[in-house]
Amino acid sequence: MGAYEVNGTVAEHDEEGYLTDIGVWNTDLADMIAKAENIDMSDAHWEVVNFLREYYEEYQIAPAVRILVKEMTKKFGKEKGDQKALYALFPYGPAKQACKIAGLPKPTGCV
Amino acid sequence: MLTTAFALSFYTAALVLAGGLGYRIWLYASTPAPLKIPTTPAPLTHSGVAARMFREVVFFQSLFNANKWIWLFGWIFHMALALVVLRHLRYFLQPVPEILVLVQPFGELAGFAMVAGLIALWARRLIVPRIRYISGPSDHLMLALLVAIGISGLTMTYVAHTDIVAVKGFFLGLMYFNWQPLPSDPVLLVHLGLVAALMIIFPFSKLLHAPGVFFSPTRNQADDSREHRYVGSARLEAMSRKA
Amino acid sequence: MAAATSTFKPMDHVHGDPLEIPELACGAMAGSKPYVAAPGQQEALGFPGELVENWQEKAINRLGELVDNSRALRVFLDSCVKCGACTDKCHYFLGTGDPKNMPVARQDLLRKVYRRYFTWSGKYVPWLVGAQDLTKDVLDDWYSHFHQCSQCRRCSVYCPYGIDTAEISMAARDIMDTVGLGQKYSNEIIGKVFNIGNNLGLPAKALKATLAGLEEDVEEETGVPVRFPLDEKGADILLVTPSADFFASPHMEGLIGYAKVMHEAGVSWTFSSYASEAANFGMFVGSQENMQKVAQRIHKAAEELGVKRLVFGECGHAWRVAYSFLDTLAGPFDFLDQNYPIPQHICEFTNDLIDQGKLRFDKSRNDAIRLTFHDSCNVARASRMGDKPGGQFEIPRAILRATCNHFYDMAADTIHEHTLCCGGGGGLLTDELMDVRLKGAQPRMRALQQVAEDHGVTHMAAICAICKAQFSKVLPQYGFDMESIVSVHQMVSNAIILTGSIQEQDYEAARLSVLQEV
Ligand code: SF4
Ligand code: SF4
Repeated sequence: MGAYEVNGTVAEHDEEGYLTDIGVWNTDLADMIAKAENIDMSDAHWEVVNFLREYYEEYQIAPAVRILVKEMTKKFGKEKGDQKALYALFPYGPAKQACKIAGLPKPTGCV
Repeated sequence: MLTTAFALSFYTAALVLAGGLGYRIWLYASTPAPLKIPTTPAPLTHSGVAARMFREVVFFQSLFNANKWIWLFGWIFHMALALVVLRHLRYFLQPVPEILVLVQPFGELAGFAMVAGLIALWARRLIVPRIRYISGPSDHLMLALLVAIGISGLTMTYVAHTDIVAVKGFFLGLMYFNWQPLPSDPVLLVHLGLVAALMIIFPFSKLLHAPGVFFSPTRNQADDSREHRYVGSARLEAMSRKA
Repeated sequence: MAAATSTFKPMDHVHGDPLEIPELACGAMAGSKPYVAAPGQQEALGFPGELVENWQEKAINRLGELVDNSRALRVFLDSCVKCGACTDKCHYFLGTGDPKNMPVARQDLLRKVYRRYFTWSGKYVPWLVGAQDLTKDVLDDWYSHFHQCSQCRRCSVYCPYGIDTAEISMAARDIMDTVGLGQKYSNEIIGKVFNIGNNLGLPAKALKATLAGLEEDVEEETGVPVRFPLDEKGADILLVTPSADFFASPHMEGLIGYAKVMHEAGVSWTFSSYASEAANFGMFVGSQENMQKVAQRIHKAAEELGVKRLVFGECGHAWRVAYSFLDTLAGPFDFLDQNYPIPQHICEFTNDLIDQGKLRFDKSRNDAIRLTFHDSCNVARASRMGDKPGGQFEIPRAILRATCNHFYDMAADTIHEHTLCCGGGGGLLTDELMDVRLKGAQPRMRALQQVAEDHGVTHMAAICAICKAQFSKVLPQYGFDMESIVSVHQMVSNAIILTGSIQEQDYEAARLSVLQEV
């Protein structure tokens, strides 16, 4: 397994790049993970990431895509808030890729 | 000397075949089938299962759906073999039942069909890359053995006749423990030697598919798990109660 | 990741005969391996944390135990005649050309070891019968190729002896788990079921919030207060569904469909947070102990909630476990109302209501959709719906025809019991296996391409959480829209006319105007 290194701190991750300890997350780390995923973090990206972290804080799990879509629609209106728009932000899937950047565990199951 | 050697080999072969097969069948029957796993759509009743099994064993239904060439050659070989075996019963029965007399001419033709079917299957084994890939030495040897048995038999029928009355005397003698001399024609000896070998190999080889098909849970179970609670293994059942 | 390094270009392969037989490509998929389970994930399931020192001896012992306890395994290992009928039946072989993905060759990976240690011929003349010692190379081959089998049973349909490679794969995975070499994806998930109650790890609080959100959504859409009850004691029906239905799309749209049907039927029902998972990965890893433990959660939940009926949502292997194994593993269910099937599939439930004329649909609401149906392996070949063999094919299609005007089946040799796996079943639905998933989907994608060309089909419905997730990943790679995979009950949800709903007013108005014209 490897680790990310930002500003002198080392953050371990699993085979797929998800942080093993979600407590070590910070925004610099997020930027770095995003870069590894070929994602340039825009405001919209941050909205998603921040929402994921808030939701996780409360429910100990990432939100369903539908819930995320609803939230983003509230924030950005219908065009920018649908599932397709989310996939445009996070091509490998809003749940999985955005969770990685947000430092959350990967949601696995039949998804 | 020759007679004794062949008599002893056939006793051994018969014992190994019966004992080996009996043991295997006992193993299959006594091994638990913990869960219901019929390949569906499956019959809902036991008589339906019997019909499914009949279609599998007599018509090779699944094989027919899978691959028409393998089905054709395989089916010809097996049906011909069945006729040939029937025909050979006359060496063990005195008097010969009427029905066997009727089978005779078909049995002779079947000899050719059997060898032809085997050779076609063998050709596929050599030519089709997928089947060549999965074939091992024993698969080729098994075909060689069966082809050799077939050809030596046909040779005696059509080329180098043997004293079949004496052959029958030999086998009846074996059955009644009153040994009679075996003619010493080389072709006959090859034929009989290979048959004895086949009998010995049977319980240790893929020929176990013969009893196996009847015990295959995907084919012999009825699809009735919602109608009747299925309990196939004491171990699972004990764990179920514990919980 | 595997997907990134693969040179496979799905778009170049989407046209052609779905069942076209590829040339042999020896070793092509030898590198495909899922992540190994971490010690903690192993131990939670009662397996050693990592590969034990005497793994070889332990593996052979375990194989012996399994053979002694499974007639299927014993008969299958003995009976194969190498006829070759199954060689072109596996979608992973069709998609990869790797000969070790031919069902018989996959079986032989285990059979050669069985022969070596458990048969007379393998002990004394191993070279003759292809018997081999269990070496580290063999173990590696197992780990790779028994994780390229989705346990779909397509091969067992065609084998003259019904040899089911799924049973062999399950046994091999059980042996690997027993010596400490488990698969991360499946074992981590089973652990989540034990700890939290479902594959995804959705805690009760999250479930509650999600369901409350759906109640809002549906009321907003229809004007009807459709409920999504959780843990309600005394409800008549316990609905057990894959947790993906609470999380992913198009799964959740199907879940909304279940709730609307339950509402319109006027029954009292509930989900359970303790048994918030229909799936049972214990089956995938071949561990009867773990499968039984997962299954017993459903019994316990049903008993504690005091329900009378048990209904399962759309999930393929879950329905196999429910239909074929549940009563054996976790029964008897004598406390349930015996007048209903135990368990019942949500499709049976909905179809019965349709037959009784209790549901109204406005099919035109699905007019933008030209639909086909993907038979999921475990429903098609390992279970049944209704009271006739093959009901599992007819009932979902009957629902789709009742809810959609444009329905077309794919080619006959790719549906019903001949159906082709989505490519992600049997514990392979994990990102590091994306390469084999993509290739394994090729036959199905070609069949879909054909109906798309012949009938303008735009969408494909399925009744399996894994199929839905796999298709939403692979469809775009093959040039289809990601959202062209739909749930069967999503179609129901789109078309159903709830009593007192906004849609009912439109529907009645339209009917009136038609009547007046006549
Ligand atoms: S069960 Fe399915 S995936 Fe496994 S070998 Fe058979 S056809 Fe292939
Ligand atoms: S179809 Fe059955 S008997 Fe024939 S090679 Fe395949 S597994 Fe063996």
